Amino acid sequence: MILETRNITMRFGGLVAVDKMNIQLGDSDLVGVIGPNGAGKTTIFNMITGIYKPTEGDIFLNGQSVVGKHPAYITQSGIARTFQNIRLFKNLSVLDNIRLAAHSNTNYGLIANIFKTKTYKLEEERIKNEAFELLKIFDLDKSAYQLSKNLPYGQQRRLEIARALATKPKVLLLDEPAAGMNPNETKELSELIKWVRKEFKVAILLIEHDMKLVMNVCERIYVVDYGVLIAQGAPSEIQNDPKVIEAYLGQEAP
Amino acid sequence: MEYIAHLALSAGIFIILSVSLNLINGQCGQFSLGHAGFWAVGAYTSAYYGVYHPLPIPDFLNLFIGCGIGFISAAVAGVIIGVPCLRLKGDYLAIATLGFSEIIRILIINLDVVGGPRGFTNIPRWSNLGWVYLWVLITVVICANLIRGTHGRAIISVREDEIAAESMGIFTFKYKSLAFILGAGLAGIAGALFAFSQQFLHPNGFTFMWSVIILLMVILGGLGSISGSIIGAIILTLLPEVLRLMGETIANWRMVIYSLLLILLMLLKPGGIMGKREFNLPFLREPR
Repeated sequence: MILETRNITMRFGGLVAVDKMNIQLGDSDLVGVIGPNGAGKTTIFNMITGIYKPTEGDIFLNGQSVVGKHPAYITQSGIARTFQNIRLFKNLSVLDNIRLAAHSNTNYGLIANIFKTKTYKLEEERIKNEAFELLKIFDLDKSAYQLSKNLPYGQQRRLEIARALATKPKVLLLDEPAAGMNPNETKELSELIKWVRKEFKVAILLIEHDMKLVMNVCERIYVVDYGVLIAQGAPSEIQNDPKVIEAYLGQEAP
Repeated sequence: MEYIAHLALSAGIFIILSVSLNLINGQCGQFSLGHAGFWAVGAYTSAYYGVYHPLPIPDFLNLFIGCGIGFISAAVAGVIIGVPCLRLKGDYLAIATLGFSEIIRILIINLDVVGGPRGFTNIPRWSNLGWVYLWVLITVVICANLIRGTHGRAIISVREDEIAAESMGIFTFKYKSLAFILGAGLAGIAGALFAFSQQFLHPNGFTFMWSVIILLMVILGGLGSISGSIIGAIILTLLPEVLRLMGETIANWRMVIYSLLLILLMLLKPGGIMGKREFNLPFLREPR
């Protein structure tokens, strides 16, 4: 078990956004989280990555509790994420976006930075080469020196995944990676997700509204509604679960 | 000739101030309005050293020690103001830093050892045009080198998107503090150079208006661009002199002309003269 949440609960005042959520993610699992709008999916992500501190409950990464830790610390321990509404460093080049994600793997101090010592040059060289390797994989190396805000939408989504991978994570959280993509791009994306899991040996937890993508790539699915886990299991089980159908389509008239 | 040298000297000091403020406001995206405060701290502490405890060593060594004292004292002031205030964002941070710089000024007015409201006199003349521009060069090189490395990129990431930066494993508070403290320290050096070239300091020389003018230089040149800050500092140092040449009445309308200039800039080139770009010589560019 690489990632485990135990009864995490998030209350905003009187509103219980997420209630006693238990999510388990094994090594190189590919698991989906689905649910209607406002069900609390992104809140779960925000709790796991440390942006919100859960009101109750515990989160374990590799058996170690990371609950309440600083988001940067959690990322450095191996959880990387993308955002629902793309959050790239817009005014920085594509290359710099990747290099920034490699920040915690860059080993030189402030003084070396200011005086451009030999360590600085060697490390910068290494980071740059690694960044280009990653960009090549995502087919972004040709636009490495462009500002990331100038990339087409689909490429920005890809860059965000590449950037998350540049932090060398063990767990990758993807928040609606297919949002705003056309069917073709979505298809490519599902191939990419499967491939990333195999190539980078990461466990992936993904929030998605595109059922085709979720059913196609995920091995296991959690269904959330009003902050409560209403079902979990393989895609085929989920599709026939009456509770899930009710959450999405409502009840049949008596 | 002396007039031109004097202008060049002020331009140099304002370049240090605007480049260091650019580190805080432009590159780190933290809206600070207290730069005159750090400038004053550097100027008064180094002048105190120069007047009361100069070491019996050559002047240029004393100048270096003075600049060091200016840097350290302003950086310490940066820690004191920065650590609590950097939890604030945007306008709130601006108000807090503004308040701080006024506190510094009032403190100076009430300190008799540094002359209080009469001003601080008899400061030794250790600095000259050459030394000022040596420090300009050092400041620009420090800021330019910093911004190209991983620490500088981390500082910029705070400006671009703080939440994304944290999610990329960057401890944003650390880098906000770094930018703030380094920016404050460099302003302190500008203060030391100012003290040792003017030989006279007055609390009214460090009012809130000066923070605004330094900020104007940065915005005019382009928030986030070092070359822009240099250009902005030069333009706004020379502009009042040019206006003075055009006659008394026009010179009195200085602030109005500044505002018009700023409005024009907002309409025509909202990002400032340089935007976020840098003026780079080919050998300085990152190899592709």
